[in-house]
Amino acid sequence: MGISFLAPLFLMGALAVAIPVLIHLSQKTKKEAVRFPSLMFLTRVPYKEVRKQRIRHWLVFLLRSVAILLLTVAFARPLLENSALGVVGIADARENVIMLDQSFSMSYGPRWDRALDAARRVVDGLRPDDRATLILFSDRAEMVEPPGRDLVVLRSVIDQLRPTHRSTRYGPALQLAEQVLRESELPHREAVIITDFQKVGWDEEVSAKLPQGTQLTRVDVSDPDPVNIAVADVSLSRDYVSNREEVTVLARITNQGPEPAAGLQVTLDVDGQRSAERVVDLAANDAVAVRFPPVPLPQRDVRYVIRAGEDAMPVDNAYHLVVSPGAPISVLILQHPSARAEESLYLERALQIGREPRYQVLTKRVNELVPSDLDQTAAVILNDAPYPQRESGRSLRRYVEAGGGLLVVFGQRVGAGTWPVAMNDMLPGSIGDPVDRLAERGGTFSVADYDHPIFELFSTPRSGDFSQTRVFRYHRISQQTSATVLARYDDAGIALAEVRLGQGKVLAWTSDMANSWNDFPLQPVFLPFVHQVVQYLAAYEPVRPSRTVGQLLDLSRDLVTDGVTRTETASSSGELDLVVTAPSGERWVERAGSPDRLLELEEQGYYEFRGLGAGDELLVRIAVNVAAAESDLTTVDAEEFASAITESGGASAAASLVATASPEERERRQGLWWYLLIAVLLVLVAESALANRAGRTKRKTTE
Amino acid sequence: MKASQFLDPVVLARIDNLALLARTVVDGFINGLHRSPYFGLSVDFAEHRQYMPGDDIRRVDWRVFGRTDRFYVKEYEADTNTNFSVLLDISRSMDYGTGKVTKLDYARYLAACLSYFSRQQRDRVGIVTFDSDIVDLVPPSAKHLDIVLHTIDRTKVGTVGTLEAPLLKVAETVSRRSILVLISDLYEEPDTILRAVNRLRHKGNDMIVFQVLDPAEIEFPFTDAAHFEDLETGERIPIVPATLRDQYLKLMGDHQEALSRRLVDNQIDYCQFLTSKPLDYALFQYLSRRERMSRVR
Repeated sequence: MGISFLAPLFLMGALAVAIPVLIHLSQKTKKEAVRFPSLMFLTRVPYKEVRKQRIRHWLVFLLRSVAILLLTVAFARPLLENSALGVVGIADARENVIMLDQSFSMSYGPRWDRALDAARRVVDGLRPDDRATLILFSDRAEMVEPPGRDLVVLRSVIDQLRPTHRSTRYGPALQLAEQVLRESELPHREAVIITDFQKVGWDEEVSAKLPQGTQLTRVDVSDPDPVNIAVADVSLSRDYVSNREEVTVLARITNQGPEPAAGLQVTLDVDGQRSAERVVDLAANDAVAVRFPPVPLPQRDVRYVIRAGEDAMPVDNAYHLVVSPGAPISVLILQHPSARAEESLYLERALQIGREPRYQVLTKRVNELVPSDLDQTAAVILNDAPYPQRESGRSLRRYVEAGGGLLVVFGQRVGAGTWPVAMNDMLPGSIGDPVDRLAERGGTFSVADYDHPIFELFSTPRSGDFSQTRVFRYHRISQQTSATVLARYDDAGIALAEVRLGQGKVLAWTSDMANSWNDFPLQPVFLPFVHQVVQYLAAYEPVRPSRTVGQLLDLSRDLVTDGVTRTETASSSGELDLVVTAPSGERWVERAGSPDRLLELEEQGYYEFRGLGAGDELLVRIAVNVAAAESDLTTVDAEEFASAITESGGASAAASLVATASPEERERRQGLWWYLLIAVLLVLVAESALANRAGRTKRKTTE
Repeated sequence: MKASQFLDPVVLARIDNLALLARTVVDGFINGLHRSPYFGLSVDFAEHRQYMPGDDIRRVDWRVFGRTDRFYVKEYEADTNTNFSVLLDISRSMDYGTGKVTKLDYARYLAACLSYFSRQQRDRVGIVTFDSDIVDLVPPSAKHLDIVLHTIDRTKVGTVGTLEAPLLKVAETVSRRSILVLISDLYEEPDTILRAVNRLRHKGNDMIVFQVLDPAEIEFPFTDAAHFEDLETGERIPIVPATLRDQYLKLMGDHQEALSRRLVDNQIDYCQFLTSKPLDYALFQYLSRRERMSRVR
């Protein structure tokens, strides 16, 4: 049995053994003379006699030398070659990865208790030499590695675990497990997956494979025929009756079990009060849509909860919403001073049809524009009208620069020469003479950029055909460099172009919208096109009544669009320190000004946001629901699962790993330095005792 | 703070004013312990004092009694007083101390206390400091306490010291019978010391010898081999205390014993003071012995 050292350079420290030698040889010699009143009683003593007596207390000297030598050897990290001490340990050691499903489907009945029991059993079966890593997964995976491989710590971690409200994805957990197992130097690798094997989380294309030789243990905690009623989805439709907004809730209820659910009670609670009830019959593995009667919506945010039945997994039996009153987009249409009464008829009609969102249209002659008209306006359409003059014109420019949206429609009344030169930068290019396509029986136009928010809606096939439009005349525009062309005529002329001005945006439509130079207003795409243009100019973001667990909330952006701007006190919530209350009641503060004010939504229910120091006033409430797909408890075949995630062959990998265990690992397992340090400690204790004793003896003789 | 702590030499070392120091030490056990050797010879009136039981009624001033109806005794300088001189060795060997107080410091405190104490007894006080020769000489006088204390205060360490030569000079200067207190570490042969002291004693002086030593001189606690340097001569010799200690202690013990025996045999008061002992303790020890001796005489 040989011995080697991981850090042999530390053996140079053995030279330090000279220190006690020097101490013992030199400690009794003083260079300074001792002043004494009279030497009349002192006789001369030859100095050589001193040297003969220098090293005394040989035992103390030996102990000190031994302590230094042991310390040096301990620092050199010794390890025994071919020692049973190291090989036995490493040959039997196992790398264990325990993957524990924490998705909300695990809260079904006693599944979670079964899972914890299984995890505890695995931990209890581990030996001291084994290494264990716990991977908790849902739609994401996180690794819990107890410090110092302490199994007691790992067990206490398991005891404190709870299922989350997240959905299932096996991929991240398997990737993490693969990484841990591949990096392990231990000969035996074992993976345990404790899950309900939900099919919804299984991706057959998953690339992660557990390494060869890994022994996979599957712990299936699912139930044979689970019954699960869930509110899978809710949609809202708004209507206005006598200028009063009403909301109709349509809920989709699913039965994911083999048994029919008869007499299932579905309820709608509004702000905690029961508003409506429906009783439905659901066949096995069936879904039904339940429509509730319209509910008047007050001018504030209202909590809606739809509940359906009771079962072993109550999380998905409720669906939470925060319904906000629909705020209309105010649009100002400016006409030519000599415009006819219904010259903007097509635009007005198109905007009046809007429901979600609604549009509030104000039509004026351009010469009647006053700056205050722009205060509450989300978008301005200059419909074949000249640019406003004097203060009104300057106000319109300031409005755009501050973030407003302007659509300029060039028709028969305006064109080259009618646009003030000072405002040329508000256009995507200089406007030219009209182009007459009448001789060709009109041209058509097509979208140049389907990725633009205006045309995104029409990007899929059969979702809007602009080519049916016949354009007989249009104004030629010579494009400026900063402008973006969004639509072109078939002769390459620009139909729609955009230019940015300050914070705002200006769109220029080069033909009219009055069914004169083209028949676009008569086309089916005209109405959604106008809606898209106005929503784009108004920077409209629909208010989401609910979000899904796992989504990220950007507190400085999403809260504003989720209705904070509707109340004066909350208008600056993006700059406020926010007190966040989670559905579980946990509260914390999100500080303003932090670069990433992101909040990951972890729980189902209502997240409430209050301003710090602003009393109890609620700024925003956000509804969060679990992912509907997770309610499907159908399982994947466990054999298929196992074969898909393990590499075949390589059963004897363990044997080859014994030889390749690194010296560092063997040294770590042998831990000889630890014993050496204990020996050093004992030697030093003995040295202290002996030195004290010697000191006392000397003092006694002195006295 | 306890009185004994206050009288510790280390504590006293912090008091700059020797008069205050002396009074601090002496007050509390000031009782007359000696008699005047020249009873009733002087006619120098000093003062009246109230009659105390035991006073000779012949000395009651009847005229004062006639005026005040109280008994007062007339006191004369020589009636109750004697000459009291301290012979203080200030040689370099006295500048030694292992604690905070050197032997010279201790000797100075002792001299100051004794002078103050004697003045309280209405003695005439004087002082002689010497090393190999007389350095300062203050002749005894009833008005010299301040000068004596001032002299003690400004005393600095001298040079190599001997006893014989300076004490011979002192013997020549002392004209009246006095109480002479020699304070020294007495690093000389006992015969030499006795010879020097006897010269004074034979002139009728009451001789008292105080030997002041540091505990290290008695115990020799050194352990490390080193060069030892003679404070007076500067001579250095290599010493291994472990081997020399017993020899030293024996020689030192013999020296002390010889001194004590020879001095006592010659009816000279001898007392050894260690600088680690409180001053009041040392004084008390001495005065007690003195009183016992006076009763014997």
